[in-house]
Amino acid sequence: MMGLGNFSTRRMAALLRKEMLETWRDRRALWMAVCFSLLFPVMIAGSTTFFVKKHAEETTRLALLGAERAPLLEQRLRSDTLKVDALEQGEPRALLAGDYDVVLQLGEDFAGDYRNFRTPQLYLYVDSSSTATGRAERHLQERLGKLQQLVVGQRLVARGVAPQLLAPWKLEVRDVSTPSGRGAMLLAMVPGLLILTLFVASLATSVDTSAGERERLSLETLLLQPMPAWQVIAAKTLAVASMGWLGSLLAIAAMVALMPAMPLAELGIQQATTTAGVITMGLLLLPLALLVAVVQILLALRSQSFKDAQTQLSILQLAPVTVLMALDMSRVELDHPLWQLVPLVGQQQWLKSLLVGDPVSLPLVLAGSAASLLLVAMAVALGARALRRESLLGAL
Amino acid sequence: MIEVQSIDKSFAGQRVLRELGFEIPDGRITALLGANGAGKTTCLRIVTGLLRADAGRVLLGGRDVAADPLAARRQLGVVGDREGLYERLTVEEYLTLFARMQGLAGAALRQSLDAVREELELGELWKRRTRGFSQGERMKVSLARALVHRPQHLILDEPTRGLDVLAARLLRRTLLRLRAEGTTILFSSHVMSEVAELSDCVLVMADGRIVGNGSPAELMENTGSDNLEDSFVALAYGSAARSECIEGTPA
Repeated sequence: MMGLGNFSTRRMAALLRKEMLETWRDRRALWMAVCFSLLFPVMIAGSTTFFVKKHAEETTRLALLGAERAPLLEQRLRSDTLKVDALEQGEPRALLAGDYDVVLQLGEDFAGDYRNFRTPQLYLYVDSSSTATGRAERHLQERLGKLQQLVVGQRLVARGVAPQLLAPWKLEVRDVSTPSGRGAMLLAMVPGLLILTLFVASLATSVDTSAGERERLSLETLLLQPMPAWQVIAAKTLAVASMGWLGSLLAIAAMVALMPAMPLAELGIQQATTTAGVITMGLLLLPLALLVAVVQILLALRSQSFKDAQTQLSILQLAPVTVLMALDMSRVELDHPLWQLVPLVGQQQWLKSLLVGDPVSLPLVLAGSAASLLLVAMAVALGARALRRESLLGAL
Repeated sequence: MIEVQSIDKSFAGQRVLRELGFEIPDGRITALLGANGAGKTTCLRIVTGLLRADAGRVLLGGRDVAADPLAARRQLGVVGDREGLYERLTVEEYLTLFARMQGLAGAALRQSLDAVREELELGELWKRRTRGFSQGERMKVSLARALVHRPQHLILDEPTRGLDVLAARLLRRTLLRLRAEGTTILFSSHVMSEVAELSDCVLVMADGRIVGNGSPAELMENTGSDNLEDSFVALAYGSAARSECIEGTPA
């Protein structure tokens, strides 16, 4: 059990100051933290813009040649997602090379054939070398199919035949997604990336302060001071966590700063992240930042060398993404409140809620944070034991 | 006083120290000699409390290092075989850190810092970060760190290794001054002239044991040698090795 005897605030403060100075004067580590922290909000902003652009491209643009021969057809085809331009004439190839996804041409005798119940000819021009063609063609076929069904039904009714005879059932697909929901799906990536930032931003510092100090033999000097080993680990944890935490705060701030430039309104997302939201998110990440820091230090202390520590921690970086993806893929129901007590999962849930403006439960946040802090305390005790290992001093 | 009482130490089944025992009275400089692998560094690490002995005990000023390591460390200064500097801190920040960790504060802290700055001629280095310091400068800072809290016991592991003449001279002068002030000093070295000049007592280690203990003059007398180096060779490697070294032929 971790002994708290001989605790001296002054000694601890001196050590903490040293760790902070060492951490924040390490330009390489600082540069890495800042770069990654800024990189991912830019990535999210870029992907949001791409998503909106792609969404805009989902509207099929149709050139209807000979539309004057069937004015109703033009009206019936037009919808929110199918933009129809009625053209008296035009060259299909040139139209496809221009603004249109598909070109539909009505045969010369379309009106007469239609009136006389002969099957009139329609010509659908597509450019199969274009990536948008498949979707546009399916889209138009779907619309034409529905219209055809309607005409058949009307003709059967006119002849006294119930149209239900030709339709044993009626399938209606209802897409319940809203632009806001689609946006939320996109923003769901953000918590995972914020958590990943914690890992990446603190990596260089954690290796330097543990495996680095051991290799430079300055760790020995530190262990010769009249301070309990847990204080050494605790000071290092605070310094490493400060780097990771401020990295993630920078990422949150950059994210919020970029939000006005992102086409969120087109996705139906209101910018839910206020200043209070940013502060709350930062506070929620603090216990996790401490946990990540102490786990990184523990692993680095166990490694054989500085390089070995870098390798091990690089693998550890994948942990948040892997765990969160595994939970997603296994379709585990994360709605149960107990999940919020699990570090990583809890923080992900809270951040997700805050980003889309949903409330988070304060008791659960407090309980989840306490669970993370308990693990931090246990890891600090383990770290103190690790510092007493003879192999750590290269004695073997 | 440093008391080492019958300590044993093994690593991975290999016995490195065997019932090692000696005493160093206050105000004396004691040199620890031994061939590479004789167990000197292990012995010093056990004395400082960095390693635990498998058996036996070490007392610093009457305090058991293993039982009460924090109290023992308050009266201990150590200069290891590497300097243990923090290259992103200035000399002032570095020494302030260690002085504070030793419990100094306020006027006492300022006084201690001023004293080591003066004694070890650190004025020009004071505001500089330690990155890029020469070996001599690094040793001076390291020694200042070990002395900043005025410890009763000072342990040094090959302190003059890599030092130029002036730095080595400053170190020797400092050790002699500390002895005069009553500090108990234990150091390991391979430099016989330095050992002969500084030491009141010499401990010779071989195969994890003390095989010679006495003043340089006593060791020379006991081994029939006319210099300390020959005495050391005779004690650490046996008289055959000594004859081979002196005569060039096996005894």
